[in-house]
Amino acid sequence: MRLVFAVAVAAVLASAVAAQSPAAGRSFTPARLWDGKTPDFRGIWQVKDTAYVNIEGHPAEQGVAAAKSIVVDPPDGRIPYKPEALAMRQENYRARATADPSIKCYQAGVPRATYLATPLQVLQSPGNFAIVYQENHAFRVFHPDTRPHFDNTDWWMGDTRYRWEGDTLVADVVAQTDGAWLDQAGNFHSTDVHIVERYRMTGADALEYEARIEDPVVYTRPWTLRTVLYRVKQAGARIIEDECLEDANGVRHHISPNDPRNRLTSDYARWSRPAGR
Amino acid sequence: MSGRRSRVAGACVTAVLCALLSARASVQLQAQAALPRLPDGHPDLQGLWMKSAGGFQGLFIGSLDGTNFAAGGGRGGRAGRGPAAPEYPYTPEAAAERADRLKRGYEDPEARCHLPGVPRALDQPGGLYPVQIIQDEKSVALLHEAMHDVRIIPTDNSAHPRNYWAWDGDSRGRWDGDTLVVDVSNFNGRTWLDMQANFVDQNEHVVERFTLVDRDTIQYDATITDPTVFIRPVEMRFTLRRVPADQQILEYSCLEGERSLQHYTDEDGGRKRRAR
Repeated sequence: MRLVFAVAVAAVLASAVAAQSPAAGRSFTPARLWDGKTPDFRGIWQVKDTAYVNIEGHPAEQGVAAAKSIVVDPPDGRIPYKPEALAMRQENYRARATADPSIKCYQAGVPRATYLATPLQVLQSPGNFAIVYQENHAFRVFHPDTRPHFDNTDWWMGDTRYRWEGDTLVADVVAQTDGAWLDQAGNFHSTDVHIVERYRMTGADALEYEARIEDPVVYTRPWTLRTVLYRVKQAGARIIEDECLEDANGVRHHISPNDPRNRLTSDYARWSRPAGR
Repeated sequence: MSGRRSRVAGACVTAVLCALLSARASVQLQAQAALPRLPDGHPDLQGLWMKSAGGFQGLFIGSLDGTNFAAGGGRGGRAGRGPAAPEYPYTPEAAAERADRLKRGYEDPEARCHLPGVPRALDQPGGLYPVQIIQDEKSVALLHEAMHDVRIIPTDNSAHPRNYWAWDGDSRGRWDGDTLVVDVSNFNGRTWLDMQANFVDQNEHVVERFTLVDRDTIQYDATITDPTVFIRPVEMRFTLRRVPADQQILEYSCLEGERSLQHYTDEDGGRKRRAR
């Protein structure tokens, strides 16, 4: 009887731990910055999954393997949309080839910038934390949560306040625009979105990322996604300049790419001279 | 008697001067010693900084024909604040090209949300957009509010890459005593230096010097060379002042927040007819 009880307790405990995080059992102590205290997350990181296509998972398509949902809560991997919001998502999905804000070179927003197909770099020193995203040279400066949010605005990359919980960086993000999507599939949020991010190293070259997303306008309940960023270790790897508007047609190229009038009459190519002349 | 008096007076003056000079020198030494530093001994440039007066790009509004409305509509690019735009030492061909571009000031790449290049990234109109610096033993990163432009500068004096061309070029830094020296090359040659069609091409080469003068002041010096555009190097100098700690960098959305497209000319995709 006692044995049965102990097993039952152990099972409950185990499931509680599992519900918290599948990685909770593993522990890794990251290196420290030169203050001897702050966990050192510096480096260039990138996901290996393809959640940028659809965080709810997607079938295989040309050049992209099938993938499971990175939504870990609810357990069914589905974003708990309100009915009218779900209809909106379906509409976005149908129009995604042209309606995705990223096509227009807008900054990706949070959390989408984290799991893009391009790397990010964590810049850090004691008391300072920033992430530079390669795509469209977006960046976020994380501010300590000792001061309140810069709120009542709508930014693409939001306003971020953070604190350390042990070796986990916990960031609180508000003040985001409703113009950004969560992926290429049209998943979205409103300006009321409130995100709590958790960054935690689970190995020397693995940075676990979790985002709890709350938005009473769009979702019936808060939900959570989780993915892993891996260290980019190629020698000489750097974040390179990614100028989305790289076309000579400049801004109009993505305002209305299909408009034949949208072509500059003057390009400075004619000024180009061979180097060293 | 008078000779003795003057000798005494001279000695007094010398003593006072010496005292003053040595006091000034010791103040300088103290300032140097008091500079915040990283454990590697290099000056700590970190913080939020704003360009104060100086630089070549003063406030300038309305550059289609060189009219500066910020200065009360006067021609010639005299800024309402800050110094006059310099006379760049153009080659004759480049001077003609610049005059041509000046007629199409609306083609300024930065107005189209392109990256500003160097040194324009820092040489924004004074007092408008700060830059956040984050530094460690391997790099100095400049996070510019303007255009959300980013430069992560390795401080290992490494070589520029081959076959890489960018709006902001490629920056490589090294420490020369207490001064961060950045060599910038590999430009794509499409940037303007300001809103007045002053320009460089792909042969641009910039040497920047960041010197922490005191805890709250960085002196910035840049030497721009471009043998196919300028007949001699162009020197630029201004100071960056520390922004009070209760302020923070904000988001700059260029294209994302563009509200002025209706002012673009018809040729340029806007509704307003091109003024003649």
